[in-house]
Amino acid sequence: MSGGRKISVASIISPASTAGHRGQLRSGFTVRPAVGRAARHSSVVTRHFWLSSLLISLFAASVAFGDNRTKPTLESLGNQLMCKCGCVAPLNQCPHFDCAEKAEMQAFLKKEIAEGKGEAVILQDVAQRYGLQVLTAPPARGFNLTVWVLPSIGLLTGLGIVVVVVRRWRHKPALDTAPGSTGDDPKLIRAVEEEMKSMRMG
Amino acid sequence: MNQVGTVGLIAALAFGVFALVAGAVGGLLRSPRITRSAERSALGFFAMITLAVVALEYMILTNDFHNAYVAEHSNRDLLTYYKVAALWAGQEGSLLFWTWLLSIYSALVVWQNRSKNRQLMPYVVAVLMGTGTFFSLLVFFVANPFHELSVVSIAGTQPYAAPDGNGLNPLLQYHPMVIHPPMLYLGYVGMVVPFAFAMAALITRQLGDNWIRITRRWTMVPWMLLGCGILLGGNWAYAVLGWGGYWAWDPVENASLLPWLSGTAFLHSVMIQEKRGMLKVWNVSLVILTFFLSIFGTFLTRSGIVSSVHAFAQSNIGPFFAVFLAIILFFSVTLLFLRLDHLKSENKLDSMVSRESGFLFNNWILLALVFTVFWGTLFPVISKAVQNVTVTVGAPFFNKVAIPMGLLLLLLTGAGPLLAWRKTSFQSLKANFTLPLAVALVGGIVLFAAGVRQLYAWMTLFLSIFVAVCILGEFWKGARTRMRAAKENFLEAVYNLTMRNTRRYGGYIVHIGIVLLFVGFAGQAFKADTKGLMQEGDILTIKDYMLRCDGLVSGDNPNYEYTRALITVTKKGEAFAEMHPEKRFYKASQQPTSYVAIHPTLAEDVYVVLAGMDSETNKAIIQVFINPLVMWVWIGGFVFMLGTLMAMVPSRVEREMADMRQAQELAVRAGEGF
Repeated sequence: MSGGRKISVASIISPASTAGHRGQLRSGFTVRPAVGRAARHSSVVTRHFWLSSLLISLFAASVAFGDNRTKPTLESLGNQLMCKCGCVAPLNQCPHFDCAEKAEMQAFLKKEIAEGKGEAVILQDVAQRYGLQVLTAPPARGFNLTVWVLPSIGLLTGLGIVVVVVRRWRHKPALDTAPGSTGDDPKLIRAVEEEMKSMRMG
Repeated sequence: MNQVGTVGLIAALAFGVFALVAGAVGGLLRSPRITRSAERSALGFFAMITLAVVALEYMILTNDFHNAYVAEHSNRDLLTYYKVAALWAGQEGSLLFWTWLLSIYSALVVWQNRSKNRQLMPYVVAVLMGTGTFFSLLVFFVANPFHELSVVSIAGTQPYAAPDGNGLNPLLQYHPMVIHPPMLYLGYVGMVVPFAFAMAALITRQLGDNWIRITRRWTMVPWMLLGCGILLGGNWAYAVLGWGGYWAWDPVENASLLPWLSGTAFLHSVMIQEKRGMLKVWNVSLVILTFFLSIFGTFLTRSGIVSSVHAFAQSNIGPFFAVFLAIILFFSVTLLFLRLDHLKSENKLDSMVSRESGFLFNNWILLALVFTVFWGTLFPVISKAVQNVTVTVGAPFFNKVAIPMGLLLLLLTGAGPLLAWRKTSFQSLKANFTLPLAVALVGGIVLFAAGVRQLYAWMTLFLSIFVAVCILGEFWKGARTRMRAAKENFLEAVYNLTMRNTRRYGGYIVHIGIVLLFVGFAGQAFKADTKGLMQEGDILTIKDYMLRCDGLVSGDNPNYEYTRALITVTKKGEAFAEMHPEKRFYKASQQPTSYVAIHPTLAEDVYVVLAGMDSETNKAIIQVFINPLVMWVWIGGFVFMLGTLMAMVPSRVEREMADMRQAQELAVRAGEGF
């Protein structure tokens, strides 16, 4: 392994390195010098701040804009409205043949589209005509805003808490992992198995 | 036979109550005799519930229409395997089926632990039988499938046998639907086992490695089955409901997703506890949450508090579930708080860029998804209670909020396994991520140039390429090492590598399955559809396909009458498929339904529905969907199942460790005189 670090197989499999002392290898690693630690810490904090801000902005933008269409069609509107016949399905997915309620709603939508109205206005008119429950998602105002806002706030707040907790919990790093190492190097596993085998035979 | 079934239920109830009490007493008094008695009662519970199930199934198969449930959900002309499925078609039968599966799990647990985990078993049995007792009470008193039909006449109330039954709901007469509920229920019910072990570990303060190992294994099985059940349900919705999709964020669909998501979080965070002795409180909380959500899902499906195409008919079962959920929550959370001192972490985190942190982020996003789905599903009920306004929360909400979270998870699916435990150095990050990022970028540019402009679809495919290269890279690195060291060829090296560490590489295969699922989901952005009126000779075109109607035929069989459209499909002028969508009218239930014709390929499905007959022109209303990449959803599900099965196979090193642990336990028991 590179970087001046030497870890013996015996130290990995010794009892002290298993139950109760997981991950703490016993022998032969160096401690990093304190010089430049404050500067490194500051740049790490700055990096994390900008990375978090970028992620938050991307997430908020994707929730806000997603795959919005601008021109309303019968299909795009039909996916945002529930059929009034009681089938508990969106208008486009109503399973009833010759559904009169579906036909009436679609006729109303065609009239609205022909009048050149935008999607948001049409949905508002439909909600006024048939009631709020006909929309497949509630409008983002009043108490209904909570359905949109709480999941996003929860996610972002939680991610922030995880970051804070991780930073508060963590040790100063006592060792550097080797480049390309993922902790389960097949060579290392083979070496451990061979030593276990020799211990059993011994 | 009604009497046999009723006797079975009463006896099961008695066994269940005895096992619950004896388990608790046996644990408190540390009495092996009382514990054995509790375990035998759990086996008795299994036997008696089996008797009840056999009685009901016998009545269904022999067309005994004295029984109200049989008359409601079966009929003489129903095919035999649909008659078998009628057991779980209705509220009463499905609750009995739920209880039976619980009894099977309980019997398995008792048998598997007959000579180990003796200190945990009394409480494990108590928790299992406590749940079993609740469900038996529900079946016997509230939703009893053994009611007889009767008729009131001048002579008084007399038993009555209907000449025939109403038949199985036509929507359920579809082959995968026969196994969808059993898979789903095995998933839901199975979550009680890790919960039982967790509670037993908390009560006995045995919170070392053993309980987490047991709990992880017992979570993987129901987690896999629940995942398969969810996908089978999606397949049913796709093939039967006729709207061209497989997931509508219906409340009942969401209810099944919730415990699967929290179970996924647990299966990841448990690795941190096993490796580093951390997140113990978190893991116990996830086990509690997963079980709670399983029962909650069952409650949601049956209580009628939310409207759904999948729900059972409204019933008065809701309040009983609400009380049971409150008891579970109170009992488990209280126990958790009382044992906090025994759940302290043994280590701290070393770095933000580490596998531990990766798992923490993964967990948090999964739980955010759980909250999103939970909140969105229940919001109509909450809105009614708070502002007395009825609203609907459907697919547009879930797609908008859940998809970005799903993409974050997809990213972690590839990045997480490549992070090192404790700390990942910058050189390691460069070495592990340069190639996957480069390939993904090239792929992303190619996709953009090919016309993939929808943001979510593009991001999904971009991340899928990234994750696939990350995972395949792990296989390649490991196999290359073996090929050099052990002189094996590539296939041998991959096989031996996987068998040496089945948990790790089985997990990678599961991740590949998830990638394929996401690829399938991305196809939804490119759906196309058209509709037209057709009679013989008429043509409909969509994308590269031309559909010609060769006529309509009608017919019937004992079960249903049908009208079938004969459609010849060509693609770019060449013969492609013959497709025969039908409209059926089921005689027994007097209900219509559609039989969708689907021609699947890896690239896209051609999906044809005979939506009805136009009353003015007497032509067939034909609806055609072109659904790209749907096949990859089913393939992804299959790979997911394979990967989970692989991860459950003990690797060689694990087998040796298990032998050592068993020898240790035997020595301890010999010393304690058990």
